[in-house]
Amino acid sequence: MIKQISTNIFATIGDKTINIFVAAKTLFLVTLNTFRGVFHFKSREKGEILKQAYEIGNRSFLFVSVTLSALGMVLVFQVCLQINKITGDQSQVGPEFIKGMIHAFVPILTAMMLATRVGAGIAAEIGSMKVTEQIDALRMSGVDPIDYLIVPRFIASIFMTFILGIYAALLVILAGAFMAHHSFGVNYNVFFVFDKVTWGDLIIGSTKLLVHGSAIPVVSGYCGLTTKVGSEGVGTATTRAVINSSLAVIILDFIISAIGLMTIQ
Amino acid sequence: MSIKFKDVHKSFGSKKVLKGITMQVQKGEILFVIGTSGVGKSVTIKHIIGLLKPTSGSIEVDGEKVENLKEKQFIPIRKKVAMVFQGSSLFDSLSVLANVALPLEKHKIVPANKVHAKAMDLLTEVGMKKYASVFPAEIGDGMKKRVAIARALAMQPDYILFDEPTTGLDPVSARRVDKLILRLAKDRGTGTIVVSHDLPSIFGISDKIAMVYQGKIYFEGSREEYKRSEDPIIQQFIKGTSSGPMETPGF
Repeated sequence: MIKQISTNIFATIGDKTINIFVAAKTLFLVTLNTFRGVFHFKSREKGEILKQAYEIGNRSFLFVSVTLSALGMVLVFQVCLQINKITGDQSQVGPEFIKGMIHAFVPILTAMMLATRVGAGIAAEIGSMKVTEQIDALRMSGVDPIDYLIVPRFIASIFMTFILGIYAALLVILAGAFMAHHSFGVNYNVFFVFDKVTWGDLIIGSTKLLVHGSAIPVVSGYCGLTTKVGSEGVGTATTRAVINSSLAVIILDFIISAIGLMTIQ
Repeated sequence: MSIKFKDVHKSFGSKKVLKGITMQVQKGEILFVIGTSGVGKSVTIKHIIGLLKPTSGSIEVDGEKVENLKEKQFIPIRKKVAMVFQGSSLFDSLSVLANVALPLEKHKIVPANKVHAKAMDLLTEVGMKKYASVFPAEIGDGMKKRVAIARALAMQPDYILFDEPTTGLDPVSARRVDKLILRLAKDRGTGTIVVSHDLPSIFGISDKIAMVYQGKIYFEGSREEYKRSEDPIIQQFIKGTSSGPMETPGF
């Protein structure tokens, strides 16, 4: 009896370990082939990158605008409120807020929002194609599914995450300034001081946007390609894509921040 | 010139689906792989084109062993052996014409400037020319099946695999698809493997039948031999009775 239980425990642990290694290997191969696929110009459908850029960028525009402007206003309101209770000197709110947004908040928040909206969409589309054997049909037609499905989304996502990130940074700063001015009387000239923003902040912020933008379609595409059978499988793949893309963004953000702190700043 | 299975086994985790499949189809012949649902018929044919890898055993396409080929090495095999999937598997985002043109373009079967004309010819051959510009969601299942057949023909294959081509179709459309399969096999001389449990199709157009049961080929022979067989399992399958010796997965 004890022997049987211990055998089952070891079998379960072994099974889980193998599954983790297989998943890690598959994700690595998808990532590698996606990077390779960027240079396979001939296998790309004309206009596909633009179409995906529209899907990723334009359709996330409102979502990013509303969320980040609200966040900017709430953050500045809370900071000003607390400062009023202590010193009342609001002169450093603007410069520190701008630095923090560019360096840390905007890249991760923009990417997390895209991970939920874009990641779910990519996994659902590719997952549906997997369960209806369209992925197999692509392979039969001489088309590499990674080149055809993931690479255009990968290129479009890098580009659009970067553009949306810049837009989001401008918007959140404007929203913050608006809140500081109208609720606490902070002068716009006092708020819009960019002295604290260094080249290091700009490089780290930009690097995060580019890396996060590349991680979302790869992780979501991997989740789509490994969808199990049926509509339940597509649902699970979509959930996995959102969770795993968000997790990838958080981990990569941490790594870039750490490297940035050790080297650039 | 043939496709041969030799003692092919396939397991998914601890579940053994195929337990030693041995069979072959010659060029110009129509082989029906039959059996109850879930018995492993589709799994069997997907091994030929590398969509699944066998646990053990070998598969030969015109004398070339394919069981250990890598994805890129399968490209010439997939030009030689085309497949029509069970649900047609047309690409939703492409028009009917683009669906047929895609393999022509990617496998470089015709020069780029002739892809459109060739795709139209193929659609004409299956009677779908006037639907060239519509999208798969706008046409019925029988039409989708014909477009999927045109897409498979685009590769000018020596062999075509059909995965349950008449399942879900009305009887009239089903017989029309049968007629199309028969015409293609006889006119073009392609070797054809049809996975099916549709008796009118099986007895209508097959040259040979291979019945999969409990992971093995239970019967291989002509349709006349199959019909004449007094084996109780074969008789139960033909009569479609629920009571009898045949075990079916899930029941």
